[in-house]
Amino acid sequence: MTSRQIISEFVMEPGTGKAIELLKGQILRIEQVEGGQCADFNCFNLHDYKEFMHCGRTRTVHGFHPTTGTFMWSAPPRERAMLYILEDTVGRNDVLFPRCSAYVYEASYGFAVHTNCHDIQAEAQREYGLTPDDVHDSFNLFMCTGVDEDGHAFMTRQTTKRGDHVDLLALMDVLAVPNVCGADVMKTSNFALKPLKLTVFAATDADLARVPKTPRLASQRTPKDFKNPAIKSDRPLRRDPAYKAEFSNTPIVVTELPISLAPDELAMFNAVKRTDIYGDDDAAALRDLLFSWWEERFLQAHAGAPSIESK
Amino acid sequence: MADTIVKLRLNQQQLELMDRTIAQGVAADRVALVRLALREYAAARNADAGTEAAR
Repeated sequence: MTSRQIISEFVMEPGTGKAIELLKGQILRIEQVEGGQCADFNCFNLHDYKEFMHCGRTRTVHGFHPTTGTFMWSAPPRERAMLYILEDTVGRNDVLFPRCSAYVYEASYGFAVHTNCHDIQAEAQREYGLTPDDVHDSFNLFMCTGVDEDGHAFMTRQTTKRGDHVDLLALMDVLAVPNVCGADVMKTSNFALKPLKLTVFAATDADLARVPKTPRLASQRTPKDFKNPAIKSDRPLRRDPAYKAEFSNTPIVVTELPISLAPDELAMFNAVKRTDIYGDDDAAALRDLLFSWWEERFLQAHAGAPSIESK
Repeated sequence: MADTIVKLRLNQQQLELMDRTIAQGVAADRVALVRLALREYAAARNADAGTEAAR
């Protein structure tokens, strides 16, 4: 296919969201109608709702503002690339803030009822039998945020215009749930609620060819790998009397490895060892040096994030 | 001057990573790997210090 075919179009009015079945190879475009509107977003594996987009994992891999050329990842132990950001005309998204909630508007602004992303997400996905407890932290499209010098996250106004959009390519069948962010008394959407347009396209071969390869690893586990694959169906927690702990690689056993340092090696070590952290514990300082070196020389991705093969 | 012995304390997972690295041909054994790490780590810091001093 050489040109994108439109499969469906929908306009989300302020205060609303929409659950959309987005199949592998389809693209969801989320587009500004007037400009200046934040969209909250999450998605689920269409065939197993327990797999969902995880902001924490996505943030670890791609930083605080993922944009074109990055993925939306599912939570451990799945850790699969669910969607690929094929296009982003603005390049300012957020995975720092959670979805806004009714509590925020009651506690900070005194509203008994107010549009909020948690409840909008919950209402939209209720169409598919999901509950308010099944809402997860959102990928906040077009939301302009940062971190101040004291380490606090902040949000500010956005500069998006009519027609600005983000294109999300499904790498698996998902239930995509975008919503018009309900924040009209914050800077998030420039103090007004506006509609957002949704368009689903069939991806072209050129679109599909743009997706970098991601590794498939044994650690990307699915229910067939779980010791307990059944979804718990009641609410109280009760101890399983038959439970027997099976933590991996336990017990952790420490072995001594004597290293004989010649005078020149000792001088080298003394010049670089982290006495600020380890004091006179040379064994701990040398262990730190060993694995710090290993990370510098062999680690492919930042902060232990899943590596992504570039084409 | 005599050599100084530093007794590294490593768990089985850390040793596994070392052994897999050795299996790639990076060093002959665990002790050699630690020595290599020390040399390269120190050299990198010396290079950084040199670059900083040259500014």
